[in-house]
Amino acid sequence: MKFWDIVRGANSNLLRNKGRSFLTILAIFIGSFTIIMTTGVNNGVNTYIDKQMNSAGGEGYLEIMRESSTTSGLGGMSNEVQEYSAEDNSMASMLITSKDIDKIRAVDGVETAKAWTMLQADYITSASTDKKFTIDLAALPSDTIRIDMAAGRAVAINSTTPEITIADKYVKPLGFSSNEAAIGKKVKVAVTNQISGEMTEVELTISGVTNPSVIGMGRSWVNDRASHALSDQMLAGMPAEYKNQSYFAMAQLKDDWLTDDKIQQVKDDLKEMGFTAMTVEDQVGMIKTFFDAVTMILTIFGVIALVAASIGIINTLFMAVQERTREIGLMKAMGLGRGKIFAMFSWEAVMLGFWGAALGVGLAYLIKVIVNPLAGETFLSGLPGFTLIEFNPVTLTVIVLIVMTIGFLAGTLPARRASKKDPIEALRYE
Amino acid sequence: MSETTIIKTTNLTKVYGKKSATFTALDNVSIEIKRGESVAIIGKSGSGKSTLMHLLALLDKPTSGTIEIGGKDSTKLKNRQVNRLRNHRFGFVFQQFFMNSRDSVLNNVMLPLRIAGIKPSERKRRALEALEIVDLSDKAKSRANDLSGGQKQRVCIARALVNNPAVIFADEPTGNLDSTTGKLVEDLLFSLNKEKDITLIIVTHDEDLASRCNRQIHIKDGQLVAQPRKGAKK
Repeated sequence: MKFWDIVRGANSNLLRNKGRSFLTILAIFIGSFTIIMTTGVNNGVNTYIDKQMNSAGGEGYLEIMRESSTTSGLGGMSNEVQEYSAEDNSMASMLITSKDIDKIRAVDGVETAKAWTMLQADYITSASTDKKFTIDLAALPSDTIRIDMAAGRAVAINSTTPEITIADKYVKPLGFSSNEAAIGKKVKVAVTNQISGEMTEVELTISGVTNPSVIGMGRSWVNDRASHALSDQMLAGMPAEYKNQSYFAMAQLKDDWLTDDKIQQVKDDLKEMGFTAMTVEDQVGMIKTFFDAVTMILTIFGVIALVAASIGIINTLFMAVQERTREIGLMKAMGLGRGKIFAMFSWEAVMLGFWGAALGVGLAYLIKVIVNPLAGETFLSGLPGFTLIEFNPVTLTVIVLIVMTIGFLAGTLPARRASKKDPIEALRYE
Repeated sequence: MSETTIIKTTNLTKVYGKKSATFTALDNVSIEIKRGESVAIIGKSGSGKSTLMHLLALLDKPTSGTIEIGGKDSTKLKNRQVNRLRNHRFGFVFQQFFMNSRDSVLNNVMLPLRIAGIKPSERKRRALEALEIVDLSDKAKSRANDLSGGQKQRVCIARALVNNPAVIFADEPTGNLDSTTGKLVEDLLFSLNKEKDITLIIVTHDEDLASRCNRQIHIKDGQLVAQPRKGAKK
């Protein structure tokens, strides 16, 4: 019997008992579909993160925290009453002071370091509008971080002009006719003094308009000059020590310290001093790790479904072998070898796997076609370029092949039983 | 009738069961069947006639003794070679037809050719030829299940015929048919025997059918008791 006859025969044999075959295929389909969708979404997320990573830049940029502050969150949630320890739990020990900054600057490989100034702006407005809008501000930590600009340029950190970039969505509300028209214009940002509660407006110059992106989503960036002007207003009247404290610091590494080994060395040095340092990659890596874990869990569910489905395959084929005992006997009498009988039933199992997986691919593709544009218009509208579900033909092929292999493995038991049937016994079977 | 021996057995013995409870189904049977002969294996149920046919058709292996097919000792052949031999040189007709009832008549007839690995166009041509011989060309597309008993057995004969076998084994071919249709099927088998020089080995307990054969092989309690030729004393 020729290979294609076996494959075609397998398919037509599956059609002999349509209901039973369909239910078995359905079970395989559920498992395959779960795995395909999960990898599809994971692929979409990872592709997007990679894209963002490549455009984010930030080579040699480190964000630094006190080591204790990374664990205090968990410590706070603990059910145990924890004993006070001056080193670990006090708020003071989580802060980074100007002395710490000096120490960080002294670490080998660190070009520069500074405290991350907390900026809480009340509103932003301009001369061309009466309205005031809330705004999320942050001081641009490093020149190496690339910002996706729609127009103009990023703020120059060391410029003597207080500069700001605004997200493109602010352009129209602030009364500018276009992104380009906004460049060089002045805006006013209001901050409230922490002691007097008095609100002051600070005038900033727009250096550029940003595109929306996942890194610093829609945030407005200011340069050092602007950030000092704002924080001076916020913190006026406070003790100097307090002004110089921060929860975060950032450091920029020297240009010749950008290899993985050297970055690790700096991180280790900082760790010894009681700081945790993270690169942009580390931060994105955390998001990735999270998604990978979710993918893993869902994939395990899919695999469990497939294992259950393969028991279905075994069952279906055992029934088929039983029903076709006489046919098996006849074919053996007519000279069909054991290997071919085994192949016939294995291929039925493989085809069950194939159709289940193919159905999974089909539906997953349909969902991709329908959901991707919908997601783009709704909950992902803020993240242009993010396609929620993305399929990689190689991955899909591999999944289909794996499911077919699972089918084959499940089929070996019934196929073996079929191949071992004695033709005389089989023909006598009623 | 040519004088070439097609099947020859020497001291053929088949024992079922293990040491303590053995049953000798066939005991020292030595027969010789010539090419183009029609032979009836006759005996009561349980006599061992079916066992003999199974051994002759190489569906089973003897406990001792040899079966020569065309001068070659088949007990020394490998499984593959035995399968090939059965596929190329034997045809089978069974009392219960054994057809795939949901499949078309044509597909049923093509089965031995599919097993042989013959390409589809050739299969179809030869199957239609075989159906022509049994006079059922018009039923090629019908479902096997929609045929009458006599038609089914003729389809089975076409199936046995399709690979141009040297020997057709027929196990109670008329057992499930009424006498009129049974007669038709018998006529068909004997005409193939004469016209195509196909050796016919029929297992039966029907005396009338057996008497139409050149020779009868009487089996009783696993032993060969007589081999009367046609026309010899009854």
